[in-house]
Amino acid sequence: MSVAGKTRCFLLLLALVVCCSTARAQDIVLVANKSVQVSALNDADLRAIFTGEKTRFADGSRALPVTLKGGAAHEVFLRKHLGETPDEFRAQWRKAVFTGQGAMPKTFDSEAAVIQYVATTPGALGYVSRISPQDNVKSLATSK
Amino acid sequence: MSRRVPLLLLLCISARSLCAQDLSGIEIHGFVTQGFLFSSQNNYLTMHSSSGSLQWTDGAVSISDSLTDKLRVGIQLHMNQLGQLGGPNIQVDWASADYRVNDRFGFRAGKVKTVMGLFNDSQDVDAVFLWTLLPQSIYPNDNEGFFLSHLGGEVYGRLPLGHRVGKLHYDGFAGESYLPLHGGYIKQIGDAGLVFTTAPGGTTYGGDLRWEAPLQGLLIGASADIQAMDGTAPQGSLHLVPFLSAYYYVQFRKGKFYLAAEYNDAPSRASITLGQTVVPIPVGAHAWYAMGSYQLSKKIQVGSYYSCSVDTGLEPGLAVNYSKDWVVSGRYDFDSYFYAKLEGHFLHGTALGYYGSTNTNGLKDNSNMLAAKIGFSF
Repeated sequence: MSVAGKTRCFLLLLALVVCCSTARAQDIVLVANKSVQVSALNDADLRAIFTGEKTRFADGSRALPVTLKGGAAHEVFLRKHLGETPDEFRAQWRKAVFTGQGAMPKTFDSEAAVIQYVATTPGALGYVSRISPQDNVKSLATSK
Repeated sequence: MSRRVPLLLLLCISARSLCAQDLSGIEIHGFVTQGFLFSSQNNYLTMHSSSGSLQWTDGAVSISDSLTDKLRVGIQLHMNQLGQLGGPNIQVDWASADYRVNDRFGFRAGKVKTVMGLFNDSQDVDAVFLWTLLPQSIYPNDNEGFFLSHLGGEVYGRLPLGHRVGKLHYDGFAGESYLPLHGGYIKQIGDAGLVFTTAPGGTTYGGDLRWEAPLQGLLIGASADIQAMDGTAPQGSLHLVPFLSAYYYVQFRKGKFYLAAEYNDAPSRASITLGQTVVPIPVGAHAWYAMGSYQLSKKIQVGSYYSCSVDTGLEPGLAVNYSKDWVVSGRYDFDSYFYAKLEGHFLHGTALGYYGSTNTNGLKDNSNMLAAKIGFSF
Protein backbone atom coordinates (compact mmCIF):
# COMPACT_ATOMS: atom_id res chain seq x y z
CA MET A 1 0.00 0.00 0.00
CA SER A 2 1.32 3.48 -0.85
CA VAL A 3 2.09 6.07 1.83
CA ALA A 4 -0.99 8.04 0.75
CA GLY A 5 -3.11 4.95 1.03
CA LYS A 6 -1.78 4.14 4.50
CA THR A 7 -2.40 7.73 5.55
CA ARG A 8 -5.98 7.55 4.29
CA CYS A 9 -6.57 4.31 6.18
CA PHE A 10 -5.07 5.76 9.34
CA LEU A 11 -7.25 8.86 9.13
CA LEU A 12 -10.32 6.73 8.46
CA LEU A 13 -9.53 4.55 11.45
CA LEU A 14 -8.94 7.62 13.61
CA ALA A 15 -12.27 9.11 12.54
CA LEU A 16 -13.99 5.82 13.32
CA VAL A 17 -12.44 5.69 16.80
CA VAL A 18 -13.43 9.30 17.52
CA CYS A 19 -17.01 8.69 16.35
CA CYS A 20 -17.31 5.56 18.46
CA SER A 21 -15.88 7.36 21.49
CA THR A 22 -18.32 10.21 21.03
CA ALA A 23 -21.22 7.81 20.73
CA ARG A 24 -20.05 5.92 23.82
CA ALA A 25 -19.50 9.19 25.69
CA GLN A 26 -23.13 10.07 25.15
CA ASP A 27 -24.20 6.55 26.19
CA ILE A 28 -24.87 7.09 29.84
CA VAL A 29 -24.92 4.82 32.86
CA LEU A 30 -26.78 5.23 36.13
CA VAL A 31 -24.47 5.05 39.15
CA ALA A 32 -25.33 4.70 42.81
CA ASN A 33 -23.61 4.45 46.15
CA LYS A 34 -22.83 0.86 47.07
CA SER A 35 -25.26 1.12 49.99
CA VAL A 36 -28.17 1.29 47.52
CA GLN A 37 -29.88 -2.11 47.49
CA VAL A 38 -31.90 -1.77 44.27
CA SER A 39 -30.23 -3.00 41.11
CA ALA A 40 -32.52 -1.41 38.54
CA LEU A 41 -34.84 1.56 38.09
CA ASN A 42 -37.47 2.28 35.47
CA ASP A 43 -38.05 5.66 33.84
CA ALA A 44 -41.08 6.40 36.02
CA ASP A 45 -39.01 5.94 39.19
CA LEU A 46 -36.11 7.94 37.74
CA ARG A 47 -38.46 10.77 36.82
CA ALA A 48 -40.00 10.74 40.30
CA ILE A 49 -36.61 10.74 42.05
CA PHE A 50 -34.96 13.39 39.89
CA THR A 51 -37.99 15.71 40.12
CA GLY A 52 -38.20 15.38 43.89
CA GLU A 53 -41.52 13.51 43.97
CA LYS A 54 -39.88 10.44 45.43
CA THR A 55 -37.24 10.60 48.11
CA ARG A 56 -37.01 6.87 48.82
CA PHE A 57 -36.14 3.75 46.87
CA ALA A 58 -38.63 0.86 46.79
CA ASP A 59 -36.98 -0.65 49.86
CA GLY A 60 -37.56 2.55 51.86
CA SER A 61 -33.94 3.71 51.89
CA ARG A 62 -33.19 7.33 51.07
CA ALA A 63 -32.66 8.33 47.44
CA LEU A 64 -30.39 11.34 46.93
CA PRO A 65 -30.30 12.47 43.28
CA VAL A 66 -27.13 14.08 41.96
CA THR A 67 -26.94 15.89 38.64
CA LEU A 68 -24.42 17.31 36.23
CA LYS A 69 -24.49 21.03 35.56
CA GLY A 70 -24.61 20.53 31.80
CA GLY A 71 -23.00 18.69 28.93
CA ALA A 72 -23.88 15.84 26.65
CA ALA A 73 -24.42 13.21 29.37
CA HIS A 74 -26.76 15.55 31.24
CA GLU A 75 -28.83 16.30 28.15
CA VAL A 76 -29.01 12.65 27.13
CA PHE A 77 -30.09 11.57 30.62
CA LEU A 78 -32.82 14.21 30.84
CA ARG A 79 -34.13 13.52 27.34
CA LYS A 80 -33.97 9.74 27.53
CA HIS A 81 -35.24 9.14 31.07
CA LEU A 82 -37.16 12.25 32.14
CA GLY A 83 -38.39 13.49 28.75
CA GLU A 84 -37.21 17.01 29.58
CA THR A 85 -34.81 19.60 28.31
CA PRO A 86 -32.18 21.09 30.66
CA ASP A 87 -34.19 24.34 30.75
CA GLU A 88 -37.39 22.54 31.78
CA PHE A 89 -35.50 20.59 34.42
CA ARG A 90 -33.89 23.74 35.79
CA ALA A 91 -37.21 25.69 35.77
CA GLN A 92 -38.94 22.91 37.65
CA TRP A 93 -36.32 22.90 40.41
CA ARG A 94 -36.22 26.68 40.57
CA LYS A 95 -39.97 26.67 41.12
CA ALA A 96 -39.57 24.16 43.96
CA VAL A 97 -36.80 26.22 45.59
CA PHE A 98 -38.44 29.64 45.29
CA THR A 99 -41.81 28.35 46.54
CA GLY A 100 -40.20 26.66 49.55
CA GLN A 101 -41.35 23.25 48.34
CA GLY A 102 -38.01 21.63 47.65
CA ALA A 103 -34.24 21.83 47.58
CA MET A 104 -32.17 21.52 44.43
CA PRO A 105 -30.26 18.28 43.97
CA LYS A 106 -26.50 18.46 44.32
CA THR A 107 -25.01 19.54 41.02
CA PHE A 108 -21.44 19.06 39.82
CA ASP A 109 -19.39 20.43 36.96
CA SER A 110 -17.67 17.18 36.08
CA GLU A 111 -18.42 13.47 35.93
CA ALA A 112 -15.41 12.79 38.14
CA ALA A 113 -16.96 14.96 40.85
CA VAL A 114 -20.28 13.12 40.46
CA ILE A 115 -18.52 9.76 40.86
CA GLN A 116 -16.60 10.95 43.92
CA TYR A 117 -19.75 12.26 45.62
CA VAL A 118 -21.84 9.19 44.78
CA ALA A 119 -19.07 6.89 46.04
CA THR A 120 -18.93 8.61 49.42
CA THR A 121 -22.61 9.46 50.05
CA PRO A 122 -25.10 6.79 51.15
CA GLY A 123 -28.19 6.79 48.96
CA ALA A 124 -26.65 8.96 46.23
CA LEU A 125 -27.80 8.35 42.67
CA GLY A 126 -26.29 9.99 39.60
CA TYR A 127 -25.43 9.48 35.94
CA VAL A 128 -22.24 9.64 33.91
CA SER A 129 -21.14 8.71 30.44
CA ARG A 130 -20.26 5.07 30.02
CA ILE A 131 -16.60 5.80 29.33
CA SER A 132 -16.15 7.59 32.66
CA PRO A 133 -14.24 5.60 35.27
CA GLN A 134 -16.75 4.21 37.76
CA ASP A 135 -14.58 3.28 40.69
CA ASN A 136 -16.27 2.53 43.98
CA VAL A 137 -19.83 3.00 42.70
CA LYS A 138 -22.52 0.62 41.65
CA SER A 139 -24.09 0.60 38.18
CA LEU A 140 -27.86 0.31 37.96
CA ALA A 141 -29.83 -1.03 35.04
CA THR A 142 -32.57 1.15 33.56
CA SER A 143 -35.78 0.19 31.81
CA LYS A 144 -38.75 1.90 30.21
CA MET B 1 -33.55 52.83 37.08
CA SER B 2 -33.96 51.96 40.76
CA ARG B 3 -30.75 51.90 42.83
CA ARG B 4 -32.11 48.76 44.37
CA VAL B 5 -31.37 46.77 41.20
CA PRO B 6 -27.56 46.96 41.44
CA LEU B 7 -27.76 46.27 45.18
CA LEU B 8 -29.93 43.22 44.68
CA LEU B 9 -27.73 42.06 41.82
CA LEU B 10 -24.64 42.41 44.03
CA LEU B 11 -26.38 40.44 46.76
CA CYS B 12 -27.32 37.69 44.33
CA ILE B 13 -23.86 37.47 42.79
CA SER B 14 -22.19 37.39 46.22
CA ALA B 15 -24.61 34.75 47.39
CA ARG B 16 -24.00 32.80 44.19
CA SER B 17 -20.33 32.43 45.03
CA LEU B 18 -21.32 31.28 48.50
CA CYS B 19 -23.78 28.86 46.91
CA ALA B 20 -20.91 27.23 45.05
CA GLN B 21 -19.38 26.44 48.46
CA ASP B 22 -22.70 24.94 49.70
CA LEU B 23 -21.81 25.81 53.30
CA SER B 24 -22.37 22.39 54.86
CA GLY B 25 -25.84 21.79 53.48
CA ILE B 26 -27.14 25.37 53.55
CA GLU B 27 -28.48 26.32 50.15
CA ILE B 28 -28.68 29.90 48.98
CA HIS B 29 -30.57 30.92 45.86
CA GLY B 30 -31.84 34.20 44.53
CA PHE B 31 -33.20 36.19 41.67
CA VAL B 32 -33.52 39.80 40.60
CA THR B 33 -35.49 41.32 37.73
CA GLN B 34 -35.93 44.72 36.18
CA GLY B 35 -38.95 45.42 34.04
CA PHE B 36 -40.13 48.11 31.65
CA LEU B 37 -43.69 48.90 30.64
CA PHE B 38 -44.99 51.18 27.93
CA SER B 39 -48.68 51.64 27.12
CA SER B 40 -50.25 53.43 24.18
CA GLN B 41 -53.05 54.80 26.36
CA ASN B 42 -53.90 54.69 30.09
CA ASN B 43 -51.42 54.04 32.87
CA TYR B 44 -51.27 50.42 33.94
CA LEU B 45 -50.54 48.80 37.31
CA THR B 46 -49.91 52.21 38.98
CA MET B 47 -46.95 52.85 36.70
CA HIS B 48 -46.81 55.93 34.47
CA SER B 49 -46.61 53.47 31.61
CA SER B 50 -47.96 55.89 28.98
CA SER B 51 -44.56 57.62 29.26
CA GLY B 52 -42.65 54.37 29.69
CA SER B 53 -41.87 53.20 33.21
CA LEU B 54 -39.01 51.36 34.85
CA GLN B 55 -40.78 51.25 38.24
CA TRP B 56 -40.82 47.48 38.12
CA THR B 57 -38.14 45.80 40.21
CA ASP B 58 -38.24 42.49 41.96
CA GLY B 59 -35.74 40.38 43.88
CA ALA B 60 -35.46 37.61 46.41
CA VAL B 61 -32.94 35.54 48.31
CA SER B 62 -33.81 32.16 49.79
CA ILE B 63 -31.85 30.22 52.38
CA SER B 64 -32.71 26.68 53.33
CA ASP B 65 -31.17 23.72 55.12
CA SER B 66 -32.07 20.10 55.61
CA LEU B 67 -31.80 19.46 59.33
CA THR B 68 -32.57 15.75 58.91
CA ASP B 69 -33.43 13.66 55.84
CA LYS B 70 -37.12 14.43 56.51
CA LEU B 71 -37.02 17.96 57.95
CA ARG B 72 -36.11 21.06 56.01
CA VAL B 73 -36.32 24.70 57.11
CA GLY B 74 -35.98 27.81 55.08
CA ILE B 75 -36.80 31.44 54.53
CA GLN B 76 -37.13 33.63 51.48
CA LEU B 77 -36.83 37.40 51.65
CA HIS B 78 -38.45 39.34 48.87
CA MET B 79 -38.59 42.92 47.66
CA ASN B 80 -41.04 44.07 44.99
CA GLN B 81 -41.69 47.48 43.47
CA LEU B 82 -44.54 47.78 40.97
CA GLY B 83 -45.27 51.42 40.26
CA GLN B 84 -46.76 52.87 43.45
CA LEU B 85 -47.28 49.39 44.90
CA GLY B 86 -44.85 47.38 46.96
CA GLY B 87 -41.82 49.30 48.12
CA PRO B 88 -38.20 49.08 49.17
CA ASN B 89 -38.97 47.19 52.37
CA ILE B 90 -37.88 43.59 52.36
CA GLN B 91 -40.74 41.21 53.15
CA VAL B 92 -40.78 37.59 54.19
CA ASP B 93 -42.04 35.75 51.13
CA TRP B 94 -42.17 32.43 52.95
CA ALA B 95 -40.58 30.99 56.07
CA SER B 96 -41.39 27.46 56.97
CA ALA B 97 -40.48 24.11 58.38
CA ASP B 98 -41.23 21.23 56.04
CA TYR B 99 -41.49 17.70 57.44
CA ARG B 100 -41.86 14.98 54.85
CA VAL B 101 -43.07 11.85 56.61
CA ASN B 102 -42.88 9.88 53.37
CA ASP B 103 -43.58 10.42 49.67
CA ARG B 104 -47.34 10.20 50.29
CA PHE B 105 -47.59 12.67 53.16
CA GLY B 106 -45.80 15.74 54.38
CA PHE B 107 -46.64 19.01 56.09
CA ARG B 108 -45.34 22.54 56.21
CA ALA B 109 -45.98 25.24 58.77
CA GLY B 110 -45.14 28.91 58.96
CA LYS B 111 -45.67 31.40 56.19
CA VAL B 112 -46.20 29.08 53.26
CA LYS B 113 -46.93 29.59 49.59
CA THR B 114 -50.55 28.78 48.73
CA VAL B 115 -51.05 26.10 46.10
CA MET B 116 -53.99 27.24 43.97
CA GLY B 117 -54.40 26.74 40.26
CA LEU B 118 -51.42 26.24 37.99
CA PHE B 119 -49.30 29.23 39.00
CA ASN B 120 -50.50 30.86 42.23
CA ASP B 121 -47.63 29.68 44.41
CA SER B 122 -44.98 30.54 41.83
CA GLN B 123 -46.44 33.69 40.26
CA ASP B 124 -43.65 35.84 41.70
CA VAL B 125 -40.87 33.58 40.37
CA ASP B 126 -40.31 35.34 37.07
CA ALA B 127 -37.40 33.09 36.09
CA VAL B 128 -39.57 30.00 35.56
CA PHE B 129 -41.99 31.61 33.08
CA LEU B 130 -41.93 32.63 29.47
CA TRP B 131 -44.41 35.42 30.26
CA THR B 132 -43.47 38.87 31.49
CA LEU B 133 -46.98 39.22 32.91
CA LEU B 134 -49.00 36.12 33.76
CA PRO B 135 -52.66 36.25 32.68
CA GLN B 136 -53.92 39.10 34.83
CA SER B 137 -57.46 37.70 34.83
CA ILE B 138 -56.37 35.03 37.30
CA TYR B 139 -52.89 36.12 38.49
CA PRO B 140 -53.05 39.91 38.96
CA ASN B 141 -49.58 41.31 39.58
CA ASP B 142 -50.95 44.22 41.59
CA ASN B 143 -52.46 41.84 44.14
CA GLU B 144 -50.08 38.89 44.11
CA GLY B 145 -49.04 39.65 47.68
CA PHE B 146 -52.54 38.76 48.89
CA PHE B 147 -52.93 35.46 47.04
CA LEU B 148 -49.36 34.22 47.18
CA SER B 149 -49.07 32.85 50.70
CA HIS B 150 -50.76 32.43 54.03
CA LEU B 151 -49.77 32.07 57.66
CA GLY B 152 -50.61 28.59 58.77
CA GLY B 153 -50.04 25.11 57.53
CA GLU B 154 -50.26 22.81 54.60
CA VAL B 155 -50.41 19.06 54.08
CA TYR B 156 -49.27 17.58 50.79
CA GLY B 157 -48.45 14.33 49.11
CA ARG B 158 -48.46 12.17 46.05
CA LEU B 159 -50.57 9.06 45.56
CA PRO B 160 -49.54 6.63 42.79
CA LEU B 161 -52.64 5.04 41.25
CA GLY B 162 -50.91 2.51 39.05
CA HIS B 163 -49.18 2.61 35.72
CA ARG B 164 -52.45 2.86 33.75
CA VAL B 165 -54.22 5.42 35.95
CA GLY B 166 -51.43 7.87 36.77
CA LYS B 167 -50.80 9.80 39.98
CA LEU B 168 -52.73 12.13 42.22
CA HIS B 169 -51.04 15.10 43.90
CA TYR B 170 -52.94 16.66 46.77
CA ASP B 171 -52.46 19.77 48.83
CA GLY B 172 -54.60 21.11 51.70
CA PHE B 173 -54.05 24.34 53.55
CA ALA B 174 -55.51 26.47 56.32
CA GLY B 175 -54.52 29.65 58.04
CA GLU B 176 -54.78 33.40 57.83
CA SER B 177 -54.12 35.72 54.96
CA TYR B 178 -53.79 39.48 54.91
CA LEU B 179 -54.25 42.24 52.38
CA PRO B 180 -50.78 43.79 51.96
CA LEU B 181 -50.85 47.45 52.92
CA HIS B 182 -48.88 48.28 49.75
CA GLY B 183 -50.99 46.10 47.47
CA GLY B 184 -53.60 46.91 44.84
CA TYR B 185 -56.77 46.23 46.81
CA ILE B 186 -55.73 48.45 49.74
CA LYS B 187 -54.77 51.19 47.28
CA GLN B 188 -58.14 51.01 45.52
CA ILE B 189 -59.99 51.09 48.83
CA GLY B 190 -57.75 53.94 49.97
CA ASP B 191 -58.54 55.90 46.80
CA ALA B 192 -62.22 55.54 47.82
CA GLY B 193 -61.52 57.10 51.22
CA LEU B 194 -60.85 54.13 53.51
CA VAL B 195 -57.18 54.18 54.53
CA PHE B 196 -55.94 51.16 56.44
CA THR B 197 -52.92 51.37 58.72
CA THR B 198 -53.29 47.76 59.87
CA ALA B 199 -53.66 45.05 57.25
CA PRO B 200 -57.15 43.54 57.02
CA GLY B 201 -57.06 39.80 57.38
CA GLY B 202 -59.12 36.68 57.73
CA THR B 203 -59.17 32.93 57.69
CA THR B 204 -58.45 31.00 54.54
CA TYR B 205 -58.66 27.31 53.89
CA GLY B 206 -58.84 25.06 50.88
CA GLY B 207 -56.99 22.60 48.76
CA ASP B 208 -55.72 21.48 45.41
CA LEU B 209 -56.01 18.14 43.67
CA ARG B 210 -54.18 17.41 40.43
CA TRP B 211 -54.11 14.27 38.34
CA GLU B 212 -50.99 13.39 36.44
CA ALA B 213 -52.52 11.30 33.68
CA PRO B 214 -50.89 8.15 32.26
CA LEU B 215 -50.49 10.12 29.02
CA GLN B 216 -47.12 11.73 29.75
CA GLY B 217 -47.31 15.49 29.91
CA LEU B 218 -51.04 15.78 30.70
CA LEU B 219 -52.08 17.33 34.02
CA ILE B 220 -55.66 18.10 35.07
CA GLY B 221 -56.62 19.68 38.34
CA ALA B 222 -58.87 21.79 40.47
CA SER B 223 -58.43 24.01 43.51
CA ALA B 224 -60.81 25.61 45.96
CA ASP B 225 -60.28 28.32 48.53
CA ILE B 226 -62.65 29.80 51.09
CA GLN B 227 -61.62 33.26 52.17
CA ALA B 228 -62.99 35.75 54.69
CA MET B 229 -61.72 39.24 55.44
CA ASP B 230 -62.23 41.97 58.02
CA GLY B 231 -60.41 45.20 58.66
CA THR B 232 -60.88 48.43 60.53
CA ALA B 233 -59.57 51.86 59.54
CA PRO B 234 -60.03 55.30 61.15
CA GLN B 235 -62.66 56.15 58.51
CA GLY B 236 -64.60 52.89 58.60
CA SER B 237 -64.30 49.16 58.03
CA LEU B 238 -64.19 46.39 55.45
CA HIS B 239 -66.11 43.13 55.74
CA LEU B 240 -65.88 40.27 53.26
CA VAL B 241 -68.34 37.43 53.73
CA PRO B 242 -66.56 34.03 53.39
CA PHE B 243 -66.64 33.11 49.73
CA LEU B 244 -65.53 30.17 47.64
CA SER B 245 -63.06 30.69 44.83
CA ALA B 246 -62.68 27.72 42.48
CA TYR B 247 -60.01 27.02 39.86
CA TYR B 248 -60.06 24.39 37.13
CA TYR B 249 -57.05 23.80 34.93
CA VAL B 250 -55.39 21.60 32.37
CA GLN B 251 -51.81 21.54 31.18
CA PHE B 252 -50.09 19.53 28.45
CA ARG B 253 -46.41 19.32 27.54
CA LYS B 254 -45.15 17.45 24.52
CA GLY B 255 -41.62 17.94 23.29
CA LYS B 256 -41.21 21.63 22.49
CA PHE B 257 -44.91 22.44 22.85
CA TYR B 258 -46.72 23.62 25.94
CA LEU B 259 -50.47 24.23 26.28
CA ALA B 260 -52.51 25.29 29.29
CA ALA B 261 -55.91 26.66 30.15
CA GLU B 262 -57.52 27.68 33.40
CA TYR B 263 -60.88 28.94 34.63
CA ASN B 264 -61.62 30.76 37.89
CA ASP B 265 -64.96 31.52 39.46
CA ALA B 266 -64.90 33.79 42.49
CA PRO B 267 -68.25 35.37 43.41
CA SER B 268 -67.92 37.44 46.57
CA ARG B 269 -69.87 39.86 48.71
CA ALA B 270 -67.98 42.58 50.46
CA SER B 271 -69.11 45.76 52.15
CA ILE B 272 -67.27 48.90 53.05
CA THR B 273 -68.53 51.03 55.92
CA LEU B 274 -67.57 54.69 55.67
CA GLY B 275 -68.93 56.60 58.62
CA GLN B 276 -72.61 55.70 58.75
CA THR B 277 -72.76 54.53 55.15
CA VAL B 278 -72.53 50.87 54.24
CA VAL B 279 -71.53 50.27 50.61
CA PRO B 280 -72.12 46.71 49.39
CA ILE B 281 -69.65 45.49 46.75
CA PRO B 282 -70.87 42.31 45.10
CA VAL B 283 -68.35 40.85 42.67
CA GLY B 284 -69.26 38.13 40.20
CA ALA B 285 -65.97 37.63 38.41
CA HIS B 286 -65.50 34.84 35.91
CA ALA B 287 -62.00 34.60 34.54
CA TRP B 288 -60.13 32.31 32.22
CA TYR B 289 -57.16 32.07 29.91
CA ALA B 290 -55.71 29.77 27.28
CA MET B 291 -52.01 29.74 26.43
CA GLY B 292 -49.51 28.00 24.26
CA SER B 293 -45.78 28.18 23.75
CA TYR B 294 -43.04 26.63 21.65
CA GLN B 295 -39.32 26.19 22.30
CA LEU B 296 -37.84 27.51 19.06
CA SER B 297 -34.28 26.71 20.02
CA LYS B 298 -32.21 26.08 23.15
CA LYS B 299 -32.22 29.79 23.89
CA ILE B 300 -35.49 31.07 22.43
CA GLN B 301 -39.05 30.37 23.51
CA VAL B 302 -42.15 32.06 22.06
CA GLY B 303 -45.81 31.93 22.98
CA SER B 304 -49.18 33.55 23.15
CA TYR B 305 -52.21 33.67 25.42
CA TYR B 306 -55.69 35.12 25.64
CA SER B 307 -56.87 36.21 29.08
CA CYS B 308 -60.42 37.25 29.93
CA SER B 309 -62.18 38.48 33.05
CA VAL B 310 -65.83 39.51 33.10
CA ASP B 311 -68.05 40.60 35.98
CA THR B 312 -71.26 38.84 35.01
CA GLY B 313 -73.27 40.63 37.69
CA LEU B 314 -72.84 43.93 35.89
CA GLU B 315 -73.46 45.29 32.39
CA PRO B 316 -71.06 43.13 30.33
CA GLY B 317 -70.82 45.61 27.47
CA LEU B 318 -69.25 48.33 29.59
CA ALA B 319 -65.45 48.42 29.36
CA VAL B 320 -65.17 48.92 33.12
CA ASN B 321 -66.72 45.48 33.66
CA TYR B 322 -64.38 43.38 31.55
CA SER B 323 -60.71 42.90 30.72
CA LYS B 324 -59.64 40.97 27.62
CA ASP B 325 -55.99 40.67 26.76
CA TRP B 326 -54.30 39.16 23.69
CA VAL B 327 -50.61 38.60 24.35
CA VAL B 328 -47.58 37.54 22.32
CA SER B 329 -44.33 36.85 24.11
CA GLY B 330 -40.72 35.82 23.64
CA ARG B 331 -37.88 34.86 25.94
CA TYR B 332 -34.15 34.62 25.30
CA ASP B 333 -31.87 32.74 27.70
CA PHE B 334 -28.31 34.05 27.46
CA ASP B 335 -27.16 31.22 29.71
CA SER B 336 -28.58 29.31 32.66
CA TYR B 337 -28.59 32.47 34.79
CA PHE B 338 -29.44 35.51 32.62
CA TYR B 339 -32.52 35.94 30.49
CA ALA B 340 -34.57 38.62 28.75
CA LYS B 341 -38.26 38.81 27.84
CA LEU B 342 -40.30 40.91 25.43
CA GLU B 343 -44.07 40.92 25.34
CA GLY B 344 -46.91 42.70 23.56
CA HIS B 345 -50.37 43.17 25.04
CA PHE B 346 -53.54 44.15 23.19
CA LEU B 347 -55.81 44.99 26.08
CA HIS B 348 -59.53 45.67 25.82
CA GLY B 349 -61.53 46.81 28.82
CA THR B 350 -60.53 48.50 32.05
CA ALA B 351 -61.73 46.13 34.78
CA LEU B 352 -58.24 45.09 35.85
CA GLY B 353 -54.98 46.88 36.51
CA TYR B 354 -56.13 50.51 36.39
CA TYR B 355 -56.09 53.01 39.24
CA GLY B 356 -57.69 56.42 39.53
CA SER B 357 -54.59 57.99 41.09
CA THR B 358 -52.54 57.36 37.92
CA ASN B 359 -55.39 57.95 35.46
CA THR B 360 -56.81 61.26 36.62
CA ASN B 361 -58.03 62.12 33.09
CA GLY B 362 -60.15 59.00 32.88
CA LEU B 363 -59.59 55.78 30.95
CA LYS B 364 -59.74 54.83 27.30
CA ASP B 365 -61.47 51.49 26.66
CA ASN B 366 -58.46 49.87 24.96
CA SER B 367 -54.71 50.08 25.28
CA ASN B 368 -51.74 48.36 23.68
CA MET B 369 -48.67 47.69 25.80
CA LEU B 370 -45.07 46.64 25.48
CA ALA B 371 -43.58 44.87 28.48
CA ALA B 372 -39.92 43.87 28.80
CA LYS B 373 -37.81 42.30 31.50
CA ILE B 374 -34.29 41.20 32.21
CA GLY B 375 -33.59 38.77 34.98
CA PHE B 376 -30.85 36.95 36.81
CA SER B 377 -31.48 33.80 38.78
CA PHE B 378 -29.33 31.15 40.43
